[in-house]
Amino acid sequence: MLEIANLGKQYPTPRGPLTVLSEVSLSLNRGEAVAITGPSGAGKSTLLYIAGALEPPTSGSVTLDGVNPYKVAEKELAAFRNRNIGFVFQDSCLLPQCSVLENVLVPTLVASGRAAWPTRARELIAQVGLEDRLDHRPSELSGGEKQRVALARALVLRPRLLLCDEPTGNLDEASAEMVAALLLRLHERQETILIVVTHNPALAARFPKRYELRHANLHPAGA
Amino acid sequence: MRTYTLLARNLAWYWRTNLAVLLGVATATGVLGGAALLGQSVRATLRGLVLDRLGNTGSIVTRSGFFREELAAALQPAVPVIALEGVVEDERSLSRDAAAQVYGVDERFWKFQALPGEPPRAHEIILTAALARELEARPGDEILLRVPKPSAIPLESLHGRKDEIGKTIRLTVARSAAPLHEFSLRPQQGDVRAVYVPLARLQRDLNQPGKVNTLLTRDRYSPSRESAKTRGLTTPSQGATVSRQSTPPRAAAWTEPSVPSGFRPVRALPLVVSTESPLTPPRASSSGSALDRLLKQRYTLADVGLRTRTLAKPACLSLESDSALIGDAVAAAAFSAAQSLGLRAEPLLTYLVNALRVRGREVPYSVVTALDSALAPAREDGVTLNDWAARELGARVGDAVTLEYYVWRSDARLHTDAAQFRVERVVPLAGDAADPDLAPQYPGITQSRSFRDWDPPFPLDLTRIRPSDEQYWDRYRTTPKAFVRLARGRRLWGTRFGGLTSIRVFPPSPAFAGALRAALDPSQAGLTAVPVRAESLKAAEGATDFGEYFVYFSFFLIVSALLLTGLFFKLGIEQRTREIGVLRSLGFSASKIRALFLLEGAVLAVAGSVAGVGAALAYGALVLLGLRTWWFDAVGTRLLSLHASVPSLAMGAAAGVVAGLGTVAWTLRGLHAVAPRGLLAGELESRPARWRWLTGSAVALLAAALAGAALSGAVGQAAGFFGAGALLLVAALLFQSAWLHARRPAAAGGLVALGLRGVRYRPGRAVLCIALIASAAFVIASLDAFRRDGASAGTGGFQLYANAELPLIHDPNSESGRSALNLPPLPGVRFVSFRLRPGDDASCLNLYQPRNPRILAAPPAFLRSAGFTFQGVDGHPPNPWLLLESKPASGAVPAIADANSMTYALHRKLGEEFEMAGVRYRIVAALQDSLFQSELIVSEENFLRLFPDSQGYRFFLLNTPPGQSGPVARTLAAALADYGFDPQPTGALLASYHKVENAYLSTFRALGALGLLLGTVGLAAVSMRNVLERRRELALLRAAGFRRRHLFTLVLAENAFLLLMGLSTGAACAALATAPAVSARGGHVPVTSLAALLALVAATGIASSAAATAVALRAPLLSALKSE
Repeated sequence: MLEIANLGKQYPTPRGPLTVLSEVSLSLNRGEAVAITGPSGAGKSTLLYIAGALEPPTSGSVTLDGVNPYKVAEKELAAFRNRNIGFVFQDSCLLPQCSVLENVLVPTLVASGRAAWPTRARELIAQVGLEDRLDHRPSELSGGEKQRVALARALVLRPRLLLCDEPTGNLDEASAEMVAALLLRLHERQETILIVVTHNPALAARFPKRYELRHANLHPAGA
Repeated sequence: MRTYTLLARNLAWYWRTNLAVLLGVATATGVLGGAALLGQSVRATLRGLVLDRLGNTGSIVTRSGFFREELAAALQPAVPVIALEGVVEDERSLSRDAAAQVYGVDERFWKFQALPGEPPRAHEIILTAALARELEARPGDEILLRVPKPSAIPLESLHGRKDEIGKTIRLTVARSAAPLHEFSLRPQQGDVRAVYVPLARLQRDLNQPGKVNTLLTRDRYSPSRESAKTRGLTTPSQGATVSRQSTPPRAAAWTEPSVPSGFRPVRALPLVVSTESPLTPPRASSSGSALDRLLKQRYTLADVGLRTRTLAKPACLSLESDSALIGDAVAAAAFSAAQSLGLRAEPLLTYLVNALRVRGREVPYSVVTALDSALAPAREDGVTLNDWAARELGARVGDAVTLEYYVWRSDARLHTDAAQFRVERVVPLAGDAADPDLAPQYPGITQSRSFRDWDPPFPLDLTRIRPSDEQYWDRYRTTPKAFVRLARGRRLWGTRFGGLTSIRVFPPSPAFAGALRAALDPSQAGLTAVPVRAESLKAAEGATDFGEYFVYFSFFLIVSALLLTGLFFKLGIEQRTREIGVLRSLGFSASKIRALFLLEGAVLAVAGSVAGVGAALAYGALVLLGLRTWWFDAVGTRLLSLHASVPSLAMGAAAGVVAGLGTVAWTLRGLHAVAPRGLLAGELESRPARWRWLTGSAVALLAAALAGAALSGAVGQAAGFFGAGALLLVAALLFQSAWLHARRPAAAGGLVALGLRGVRYRPGRAVLCIALIASAAFVIASLDAFRRDGASAGTGGFQLYANAELPLIHDPNSESGRSALNLPPLPGVRFVSFRLRPGDDASCLNLYQPRNPRILAAPPAFLRSAGFTFQGVDGHPPNPWLLLESKPASGAVPAIADANSMTYALHRKLGEEFEMAGVRYRIVAALQDSLFQSELIVSEENFLRLFPDSQGYRFFLLNTPPGQSGPVARTLAAALADYGFDPQPTGALLASYHKVENAYLSTFRALGALGLLLGTVGLAAVSMRNVLERRRELALLRAAGFRRRHLFTLVLAENAFLLLMGLSTGAACAALATAPAVSARGGHVPVTSLAALLALVAATGIASSAAATAVALRAPLLSALKSE
C-alpha cells in the first residue's frame, strides 16, 4: 500500500520559498491505478519523483507497504527503488549504447537473484511486442517502441509501484493509444500500484481514479 | 547482462570521448615514463662512458711521487704507466690546452686495453680525437708538452727546487686515438683531452728511469667486479653495492710508551695523507680491497721513498727518505718496528743554517743537527759546538750563540729567522761528533767538491765563505758544527712534510726494514690502491637525478595532461548526465554508478598507460635529443643516448594508471551531490558553493602568511614567495569557480556580453580551462624572472680568475716572487692565491657525483676582506668567512660552499656535517651565485693540516685596474705559460654556470609550452563541446536573425574571456612569486619577451578556439531547432 500523507514541497528561490505541494495526501492499494493531471508547473512530476523516492519532501511522509524510503540510508534507498519502484519517463531514457534486451536488463545489474532475470526480460519484451527486436539499439526504434522497452524495463523486477511521467507525451495518437493499452494491461497483470502523470485527457480517461493537481494540492478530477 | 557487458557497451559507444581520455592518460604516462627513462639513460650513459674509458682497468695503485716499475710484476696482472696533467701546445697552429691528461705508456698498456694499432714510440705522441680537434693538430705536427717535474724534496721546503717545477718535451704527432679508445681515469662526461707518450721517453725526460706513478690492474682486485660483457647494461645499484672501507689509523703504534711524545700526530692526520696522481680520484686511505692487502704484502720501502743505510761509524742503520724529510706517520712506524725488534731508535733533524754567530764573529753555512743523544745539550736553549766551530767563533761555554737560517713559510716566501742559544759544551771534532752522515743528501750541496760548487735552491752569499770554511768542507763535508735538542730543532725547522731527516737504529739489524715495511701502511706513505672502477661507477649515479628533475620540469606538462584527461572525462560524464539519472531512478546507488565510471576510467587508464609506454620512449628520445642539441649547456655532452629499461617503463605506466585513475576519481567527486531529478534534467553541477569562497579565502590567507614569513626571513624569500604565488593562483581559481557557479541576475548587454554569460553555462569546464591557461602563464612568466645574466655579485669584485696546471710556489704580489716567476711589473694588479686540492668538479658542469670535490684553501687575508654575498650562514657572525677559522666541537673542518653546489651537487644542507674522502666537514656558510661552484673552501690552516703534501698555489683571483683585465690576462698567460696559467674573466666563469641554469630553465619552459599546447587543445575541445551542446540555443538565435558571424563572435568572446582570465591570473600570481628574484636582479623584468610570450599564448588560444568554433558552427543549426 502506498500512503502519501500531508506531503509538502518547497523550493528556495531568491524571492523566498516557492511552495509546489502542500498537504497532499493519497492512499493507494495494490492493483490500484490513478492518473494525475494538471497544468504545467503545478507540481505533478515533483509529486511523482517524491513518491518514487527520487526527491525528498519538505514535509509529510511517503510509505510503501509501511516503509518510508526517506528514512533509510542512501545505499538502501537505491536498493528500495530498485526493488519496489519502476519508472517510465516521457522520453523513454533508454541507454543508447545498449540493445533492447540489455536495456530491459539494466536494473537487474544491481538486483539480487540474477539468474531468472533474462527469461523474465524476454517475456516482458514479448509482452510489449518487441520479441523480434531484442538486439536492436534504441536508435533503431520508433518513439512508441522505445516507450514499450521503457515499460518492460520498469516492470522487469516486478515493482510494487509503477510511476509514469507523461508516458505518451512524445508519441503520436496511435502509438500513445498502444502504449496506454499496454501500460494498463501489464498493470493489471502485475497488480502494481500505478500512478500516471499526464496532460493527455484520453489517457487519463482510461483510469478509474483521476486527480487534478491544482494550487499545490490534489483534487478529484472534475470536482 | 553483466556489469562488464555494460562497461564494454559504454567504452565502445562513447569511443570518441574515451579515446580523448585515453590519449590524455597516455600523454601523462609518456611524460612520467619518459622522465624516468631519462634518468636511467643519463646514468647508463655516464656508466657507459666510465666503462669505455677505463677499459680493462678495475683498480689502480698510485702515488704522487714515483715508485718502482717492478712493483707491477708483484701485482700481476698490472700495467705501469705515468699519469700526469700537462700543458700541450701545437707548434704549427699555436693552439694550446692547459689541462690535458698525459699518459706515459708502452706496449703493455696497449695490450692491456686491447687498443688497435701501435703505442707511441721514440718521439711520437698520440692525441685523443677531441684534443687533436682542439689543437687543430695534424699528424707530423710538433707538439710541446709541459709536465710537472717530479721532485722528491717538497717544493715548499728550503731545499725544494722551485725554479724547476716543469719539464718541456718536444714530440711529434703520430695520429689521433679512435674516439672509442679514449682512456681516462677520471669520470667526466665531456670529451677526453689526453695524450699518450712513450713511457720510456717520459721516464728519461723526467729523470725517473724505471719508475712510474700509477699501476693499472684488472678488476679482479676491485670490490665490485663487472665483466666487460655486461658493460652498460647493468643497473646503477650494482655500483652502489661497493663500499669504501677506510683503514683505521694505526693508533696502536702511536700508543707504545717508547714512542717519543713529540711524534704523536693528531689522530685524524694519518687518514688524510694524500699523494695521488692528479688524474685519479683523490682519496685519503686504503679501500681495504684485495689489492690493498696484496700491495701491503708486496711493496718495498723504496716504493714509498724510504731507504735504509748501514753505517759503520757509529754502527747503526740509518732510515732516510728521498724527500730528505721523514713524516710523522713513517716515524711512528719506524719506532714501532724498532721497538718490536728490541732495537733503539734515534730520531735526527739536520738543518743548514746561514750563520753561527757569537759576538760579531760568524761561521757561514753550517750544518746543525737536532737530536737527543749524548751530543745533545741538556737544556732546551743549549747548543753543543764542535771544537772547530768554537775556535772559529771564539766561543766559550755560556756564550750566547745566534743561529740564523732560512725558512720557507706557507706565505710562499723565503724568510730569514734567527734563534738564540747558549753554548753548553764544546766537543772534539771526533767520534760521534765527526759524522757527515747525520745530514741527508741535499741535491746541489752534498756532492759538491767545494762551497763554490754549491747550487742550492736559495740565495747563497759566496763572499762570506772563508778559506777555513772551504777547508772544513773539504775535510769534513756535511759534518755538523753544532748540536741542539731535537724538540727545539723541530720547533724551528720542522715542516708539515716532516720533522726528521733520518732515524738511526741501533744496533744495525737486517730485520728492521722488514719490520718497518710490516708496520707501515703504504697508504700512510702515499702509496694507495684505488678501486677506480667501483668509485667511478658510484660517481656515475650522477650528481643530479635527471629522472626526478625531469619529472619536476615536466610537472606542468603532466598536470596539463591530467587536467585534460579530467576535462575530457568530465565532458563524457556531462554527456551522460541523464543516463546517470535514469540509472539512479532504476535503483543504482550513487556509489555504484561511481564504481561503474571508475571501472571505465580504470580500463582507460590502463589502456592509456600501455599506449603511454610508446609515448615514453618517444618523449625520452625527444628530450635526450634536446639535451644533446638545444639544451646542450645543461649537460655539456653530446654522448647521451636512450637506454630503455622495463622497470623505468613499468614505473611510468604504473604512475600513469595511478594518475589517470586519480583524475577520474577527482572528476567523479561531485556525482554524489546532484539529486537524481537534477541528473534527469541534465544537471551535473551542484550549486552554489559557498565552500569555494571559504576555501579560496583560506588559501589566500595562507599565501599571505607565507609571503609574510618570507619577508620576515622565517623561510627563504625565493621559496616563500614562489609558494605564496602558487597558493594565490589556487585561491584565485577557487574565487573564479565560486563566481562562475553563483547565480546572478541577467544583465542586459551587447553580443559580447551575451557571449560572456555563456561562460556560466558549464562553470566546471570554464574553471578547468582557466586553470590550464593560468598554470601555463604562471610557469612561463615565473621562469623568465629566474633567468640569470652575467651581472652578479658572485665575482666578489675580482675581474680575473686563473687555474695553474703547475703550482706557483712564489708569491706573485712580492717583487722577489715576480722576479722568480719572471713576471713583468703589473701596476694595480693584486693576486689572491689559493692552494688547491684537485678533485671532482662540484658544480653543475659535472654530471658525475662529486665524491671528492676540489678543495680550495682561502688565505687568511682573503677571509678578512672578501666581498661575496652569502645565501645562508650558520649563525649570525659579522663576517661569515671567519667561520672557516672556527673550531666546531665535533672536530669537523668548517667549509664554505656555493649554495647551488651544496644543494644540487653535494646534496648537503647548511650546518650539516658529513664525511668525504676521510675528512669530516661542516658547511658553515653558503655563497649565493658565486664563482666558487666547483669546490669547497676551507681555511689555509686547515688545508695544510689536512693535505700536508699539497704544494704551492694553483687557483688565483685577480684584481686589475679598470679596463685592464684583457691586457693583464694576456700578459700573465704569456709570462706564466709554462705553468699552464690560464687567466679568464670571472664573469665568463659565472656565465658558464648561468648557461647551465638558463638551459635548465629553457628546458622547463619548452616543456611548459608543450603543456600550454595541451591547454589550448582543452580550450578548443571545450569550445567545440559547448557549441554542440548549445546548438538549439544558437539555432534559435539564427532564427531570430543572428548571422553566423554574430554567433562566432558570441562564442569566441566566451573563449577569449576564459583565455584572458587565465593569462591575467597566471601572470599576476607569477609577479608575486618572483618578486624576490626580480628584486635581486635590480628590478629588471624582461617585459618585452614576457609580453611577447603571453601574447603568443593568447593568440594561440584564440586561434585554436576560433578554429574549433568555426568547425562546430559549420553544422546546420536549424535542423537542431526542427528537432525541438
